[in-house]
Amino acid sequence: MAYTKKVIDHYENPRNVGSLNKDSKTVGTGLVGAPECGDVMKLQVEIDEQTRVIKDAKFKTFGCGSAIASSSLATEWVKGKTIEEALAIKNTDIVEELSLPPIKIHCSVLAEDAIKAAIQDYLKKNNQEEKTA
Amino acid sequence: MRSGTLNVPGIVGFGKAAEMAGRLMSEEMQRVSHLRDLLWEKIKANLDEVYLNGHSIERLPNNLNVSFAYVEGESLMMGMKELAVSSGSACTSASLEPSYVLKHMGVGEDLAHTSIRFGLGRFTTAEEVEYAADKVIETVRKLRDLSPLYEMVKEGIDLKSVTWTGH
Repeated sequence: MAYTKKVIDHYENPRNVGSLNKDSKTVGTGLVGAPECGDVMKLQVEIDEQTRVIKDAKFKTFGCGSAIASSSLATEWVKGKTIEEALAIKNTDIVEELSLPPIKIHCSVLAEDAIKAAIQDYLKKNNQEEKTA
Repeated sequence: MRSGTLNVPGIVGFGKAAEMAGRLMSEEMQRVSHLRDLLWEKIKANLDEVYLNGHSIERLPNNLNVSFAYVEGESLMMGMKELAVSSGSACTSASLEPSYVLKHMGVGEDLAHTSIRFGLGRFTTAEEVEYAADKVIETVRKLRDLSPLYEMVKEGIDLKSVTWTGH
C-alpha cells in the first residue's frame, strides 16, 4: 500500500490524540466501526453551549494508516466550526485532501460517521437535559 | 512435441541449494528457531495481550506469527518500515481481509486483524532480531496509546458487550 505524504504525516504526527470527559454535558462522543472489520474510531467534540462552536476535538483510532489519518484530519477540521458547519463535512472532502485510493474510501466514510455520531451524542445529551429539567 | 525451455540457472541453483541443505539444514534449523524464540520471548516479556498464532513447537523454525491485540496490523507495519513483515500471507498482503488461514485456525476476526507474520532466514543475525523486537515493542506501545479499544479494555469495558456499528 503506497501512502501519500499527507497520510504519512498524520500517521506519524497525529493531531488531537486523546480523550475528553465523556460524562461532561458539553462533550459529545462518537464511536463507530467494529473490531471485526479492522476499524474503530472514537471522536469527541467539546461544544460551547452559547455559540454552538466546537471548542475542542480529540480522537483515538484502531485501524490502518488511512483510518488514523482520516480521523486525525477530521478533528483538525471540526475545531472552530459550528455544529452545522461540522455536519456539512463530507467524506469526499477527506478523500480529496488525503488523496485516498478507492480501497481506502471506507476510512473517510467512517470519519464522517464519527463526526456525526459525536454531534448527535452531544445533541441527545442536551435535549434530555432540557426535558428532565 | 518438444519440452519447454529449461531454466538452466534455476536447475543449477536448486541443485546447489539441495546440496547445501543436506549439509546445513539441521544446524540452520536450530540456529533460526533459537533466534525466532528470542524474538518471541522479548516481545512477550515487554507487551501485554500478545498471542502466538499456531503451535509453539510444531511450526516452521523460521516463522513467527503474532497477534498484537488492539493494534491493527497494517498500521503496525507502517510504523516499522525498516522491517520486512506482512500482516497476512503474501497472497493477501494487498487485501483488506485478515488472513483466512488464521481464521480457519480458529483465530477470531478481531485478533486476525492484529496479526503480523515475521520470517527469519539464513542471514538473519541476533542483532537484527534485537533491533526488530525493540521496534515492534515501541510501535505497538505508540499505537496502543492511539487505540480506543485498548483504552476501553483498560477502563474495564468488555469489548464483546459493546454494540458496534459495523460497516
